[in-house]
Amino acid sequence: MTDFIPTIGVEVHVELKTKTKIFSPSVNGYGQMANSLTNVIDLGYPGTLPTMNEEVINLAIKAATVLNCKIRRQMHFDRKNYFYPDNPKNYQITQFDTPIGYDGYVEIEVDGKTKKIEIEEMHIEEDTCKSTHRKEKTLLDFNRAGVPLIEIVTKPCISSSEEAKLYLEKLKELLFYCDISDCKMEEGSMRADANVSIRKDINDPFGTKVEIKNIGSISNVGVSIEKEIARQKELIEKGESFKEQTRRYDDKLGDTVLMRVKETGNDYRYFPEPDIPYVIITDEMIERVEKTIPMLPKERRKKYQELGVSELNANKLVQNRSLSDYFNQLLEEKINFKVASNLLLGDISGYLNKNEKDITETTLIKERFIDLVNNIDNGTLTSKNLKDILDKVLETTSSIKEIIDECGIKNITDDNMIKEVITKIINDNPDSVADYKAGHDRAIKYLMGQVMKETKGGVNPKMAMETLINELNK
Amino acid sequence: MADKLTKEEVMHVADLARISISDEEVEKYQVELKQLLNEVEKINDVKGYDDEILIAPWSENTVLRKDESKEMLNPKEVIENAPRHSGNYIEVPVVIGESEGA
Repeated sequence: MTDFIPTIGVEVHVELKTKTKIFSPSVNGYGQMANSLTNVIDLGYPGTLPTMNEEVINLAIKAATVLNCKIRRQMHFDRKNYFYPDNPKNYQITQFDTPIGYDGYVEIEVDGKTKKIEIEEMHIEEDTCKSTHRKEKTLLDFNRAGVPLIEIVTKPCISSSEEAKLYLEKLKELLFYCDISDCKMEEGSMRADANVSIRKDINDPFGTKVEIKNIGSISNVGVSIEKEIARQKELIEKGESFKEQTRRYDDKLGDTVLMRVKETGNDYRYFPEPDIPYVIITDEMIERVEKTIPMLPKERRKKYQELGVSELNANKLVQNRSLSDYFNQLLEEKINFKVASNLLLGDISGYLNKNEKDITETTLIKERFIDLVNNIDNGTLTSKNLKDILDKVLETTSSIKEIIDECGIKNITDDNMIKEVITKIINDNPDSVADYKAGHDRAIKYLMGQVMKETKGGVNPKMAMETLINELNK
Repeated sequence: MADKLTKEEVMHVADLARISISDEEVEKYQVELKQLLNEVEKINDVKGYDDEILIAPWSENTVLRKDESKEMLNPKEVIENAPRHSGNYIEVPVVIGESEGA
């Protein structure tokens, strides 16, 4: 079987997190009663005029900035004409000639190497109404009509389904962290289309392009690209040709199905939208937006690892933005960050998941958390103690010291006292000591168990282990 | 220059507009649409015309609206103007395929 080279481009639509719609003051909301978030502009009533939402421009500038795009300083909008019930104006207002951002990139890590996924352009447009197809009718809900979107288009520079998935994950992370969109693919606030073609040789012209539309999850983007590559291979190997077409991914079939043979771009008869004068983007606007960009995921991962957090924990923290934001307020503190990250991702995450809470909904303010970390770090609290007091730590406002006193936790942190206990255990268990000296490593586990039993878990295991080994080797 | 459009061109335009037209109408529009095109094409003769697109006769910034919501329509008012509805949804004859716009 011949090997083919796939060429993939990805187009992503993202709904912007604004309070109101792009051209009208209706609420931008999801999951509300059908047709309850509309006005005459969204419904395309004659005589209505669009007015541009300032926040849409701000969020688009922000997106362009974090996607390393150049920003167009004077832009206009265009009408994309088509007749379809999802758009009563019979045109969609979009940007055809002057997309706000162009020539950008997103960096992904492939097999340990950094690859730049180049962004051709990103433009602003309005969403259409949501149509639900029933057997004999189509139902329309205009709550989504006029919701602001940005569409981000890559160059055909993606060479595998894996790269496409990595790109989407990176894109989602960036847009989510910057509060540009909530990026929920299951709710349609982030939607991906993939353009796929294959060719035999890198010097051949690109093969026939097939567009796969409306893929509902990042993993399905991967699956649908794989399926489409396999389908095209089979056709080419059989010597069959195919036309440019649009397909959609059918989750139930686990394969792509034909939607339509594509109309050409000319059929949309784009022309400039005369109802919206030029939008001029000034240096001041860009500077103002840049100030609202938080520390980005890449920088967070780097910073956390510099502070002693493991790579695994750094990644886990960044995957949970709320925990990462919480962690970020600690960066200037002098604490053991390894302990702090273990604590947040271990017992505290367990509690938050179980109780379906966000860390900001607990009583664990920054100062108490620092106190907690220090008490664990210096051995005052053991991991067993922590489990016992966790509810009090997260649900009351008592100081950590008050909780420790209240629960009667008296851990042995004094070196001499630890030594005393260990000497007793060594004297009581001559057989195990002999086993240890004969090279049976398991004996030390038994002895440690006895130490924990003797102290009722009230000793810092790390300190106890060190002392035990020292005493045994004497 | 031909003085009328081809049948295929007229049919294509009808197709984009999602309307069906009779054979007589096709013949009529072959001439009429061409006349319209000829009128519009006169703009190419205007002196000083170049490729730069002029959106508005001034280059000031458009007025941007604050991101604040205003009163919306009641769903009842929305469906009142639709020929058919199903609950709060506006109902149209079944259309196959997905949204084209976005």
